[in-house]
Amino acid sequence: MPSGPQQPTVLAALRRRIAAIERPPPQFADRDGSGTADGRNAAEAWRFGLADIDAALPGGRLATDGLHDIRPQEHQDGPAAVGLALALLLRLPAGDAAPPGPVLWCQNRRCAGDFGRLYGPGLAAFGLDAARLIVLRAERDRDVLWAMEEGLNARALSLVIGELEQADFTASRRLALAARQGRMPALLLQSPAAAQASAARTRWRIAARPGAADAWDARAPGPVRWHLHLARCRGGRPGAWTVEWNHATHRFRLAAALADRPAQTRPTQTRPAQTRPDSVAARRRSG
Amino acid sequence: MPHGGAAAEGEPFVLTAPGRHGILLTAVNEAAAAEGLSPGLPLADARALLPGLATAPAAPAADAEALAALAAWCDQYSPWISLDGADGLWLDITGCAHLLGGEAALLTDLGRRLEGLGYRNRLGLADTPGAAWALARFAPDGTRVLAPAATAKGLAALPVEALRLSAPALLLLQRLGLRRIGALYDLPRAALARRFRSAALGEQVLARLDQALGRAEEPLSPLAPAPAYRTRLAFAEPIATLDSIAAALARLTEALCQQMEADRQGARRLVLRAYQSDGRVARAGIETGRPSRQPRHIERLFAERLEPLLPEYGIETLTLSAEVTQPLGPAQLSLDPAAGGVGEAAAELVDRLANRFGAGSVVRVRPRESHLPERAEEWQPAAAPGPFWARPEALQPPRPVRLFERPEPIRVLAEVPDGPPVQFDWRRVTRRVSRARGPERIAPEWWNDFAGAERLRDYYQVEDQAGRRYWLYREGLYQEPRAPAWYIHGLFA
Repeated sequence: MPSGPQQPTVLAALRRRIAAIERPPPQFADRDGSGTADGRNAAEAWRFGLADIDAALPGGRLATDGLHDIRPQEHQDGPAAVGLALALLLRLPAGDAAPPGPVLWCQNRRCAGDFGRLYGPGLAAFGLDAARLIVLRAERDRDVLWAMEEGLNARALSLVIGELEQADFTASRRLALAARQGRMPALLLQSPAAAQASAARTRWRIAARPGAADAWDARAPGPVRWHLHLARCRGGRPGAWTVEWNHATHRFRLAAALADRPAQTRPTQTRPAQTRPDSVAARRRSG
Repeated sequence: MPHGGAAAEGEPFVLTAPGRHGILLTAVNEAAAAEGLSPGLPLADARALLPGLATAPAAPAADAEALAALAAWCDQYSPWISLDGADGLWLDITGCAHLLGGEAALLTDLGRRLEGLGYRNRLGLADTPGAAWALARFAPDGTRVLAPAATAKGLAALPVEALRLSAPALLLLQRLGLRRIGALYDLPRAALARRFRSAALGEQVLARLDQALGRAEEPLSPLAPAPAYRTRLAFAEPIATLDSIAAALARLTEALCQQMEADRQGARRLVLRAYQSDGRVARAGIETGRPSRQPRHIERLFAERLEPLLPEYGIETLTLSAEVTQPLGPAQLSLDPAAGGVGEAAAELVDRLANRFGAGSVVRVRPRESHLPERAEEWQPAAAPGPFWARPEALQPPRPVRLFERPEPIRVLAEVPDGPPVQFDWRRVTRRVSRARGPERIAPEWWNDFAGAERLRDYYQVEDQAGRRYWLYREGLYQEPRAPAWYIHGLFA
């Protein structure tokens, strides 16, 4: 890429122009009700729907033409990383296509061996229409990366997800470029030991957290709870949050600080539910 | 004749094979024939004539293989090829000659290139297989093409051997003084048949004559069925780079798609053949998930496959044929993913992935009517149409997002026999359970279970103290004679 002293200002000007073009007409704004203070672009933007997290992202949203890197905190948190990928997929705005486009999930077979295959009824229970998924089972990371790039170039999908052991910086850079050119988001699920450097727009580390009890059964697990750590974010602020995912409404919710205690001790008070997410006292860590 | 010369040029050389009374000659070259050698002569006699005779054992299997390879190579002239004995080939060039500048030009080109491959050859071209055979083997050099309707005149001067007759029939014709084919024309057919002692011999002569003159059909079966759609590109200079192959492929694809469009067909399987200067034929094939005649899509599918075609000496001809086609309406774009498909562009992506990784590696999941968790879904090649999933309902029992192919055994501690586990060991790690939902009892499918070996399962969704969620089940009941066993079947997000 050419670089020069005037480059950042030019880029900033172009970004403003694109933002102006992409702004939806007012009648479509804030369709999902999770809008932020200014209420702009709410329907079309890819966000968590939580003011705290969205505020940490550049432009208050996840880039829909970029690569996002998700890693479990530990190996055993792998399913949580898959969960976050699925949740983000469900949060992805459909855009112009009335039925949302298919999703390519490229998987290294070894990952499937570790955590089992994707399970259709489970995906449906998570809230996803499993018919949207096209799953590629490849033998090597290299094949996964090739297929992801092919998927990003195809412009026929709504999202590309790659589940592999690790992608080096060059590979992530290729993907990031392909995502930008194809104007399609991509999620990279890597092992926790993967190389640190990555060309992704955001890098998340996710761990499972003990959740609250079910609203109607104190002994049963309630909504799933994750600890999200935004480890790196170009143009944003790194941060950490504990969130709950509701697979019926496809919403995130900040978990109350108290809820982090072991579940058996206070089964009844660990329901932060009924208040509006914005007003819940959120626990926040920096960095 | 497909016998490459293995001896020094101009030296007598023969092939030999063991016969009943010692080793016999099976083939001789021109120099050996000039010395009076002929096939069938014992090798000892031949050695007596020519003490320094070069010999080599005949290898009929290798000859047949070489002939088959040559047949594949000839495929560039016509897709319709049939073997003729151990040393000849038939090519039906109906509708092919104009591509090569006419019949004479085709023969010239074929002869020159066979010569280039090291094959001495004789060619004949006529209206019927029999006449062509006669021309190729018995015509004096120079008359190789018989114009349409000139068959009878052209064959008249050839010896009767050119009619593909058996030895007794030939002997008889010679005794009758009928040496030329033309001599047979004037004889009344009934008289001809009467002169033979056996009716079968007379029938044979008449049948072969009719076949050669086109009065009787002679069906030949081709080695491979000819594809309905085929395009061909020959190069003045052999090409040997990926770029030039790709450029040629683009032209071939364009032409083939036009052919198919005229008939409203789309290709499901396509084969690209590269005829190389050294006589070998390399092929690359692709398959599509749905009929297609989009040149760009087909080219991209082939892009992955071109590398193995790269020859050592260069490619002289490329052909592209659609081996399997299906009707495809004029509407190319179906913008209706709701119809159960994945949309046109996505289908093309699926084709590309399937061609690289195999159709079984690009899959979509569809529901199945079964309450057994591992049978409630079915992964099928993504090109197959229409999986539909019911909208998830709020009150469904929990299902994990990942399911193990094989449930893994775990060691479990439970407070009460029928209760959820308090603690379990999985993959050498002990996990303490803090919350559990269940049991959800799933009975075996007794109508599938003839041995009666399957036991009912009680499923629990449990969360450990770290917040990770598992799907466990106990197989069997405590009151049964066989002790129950615990397994982990899946992981929740």
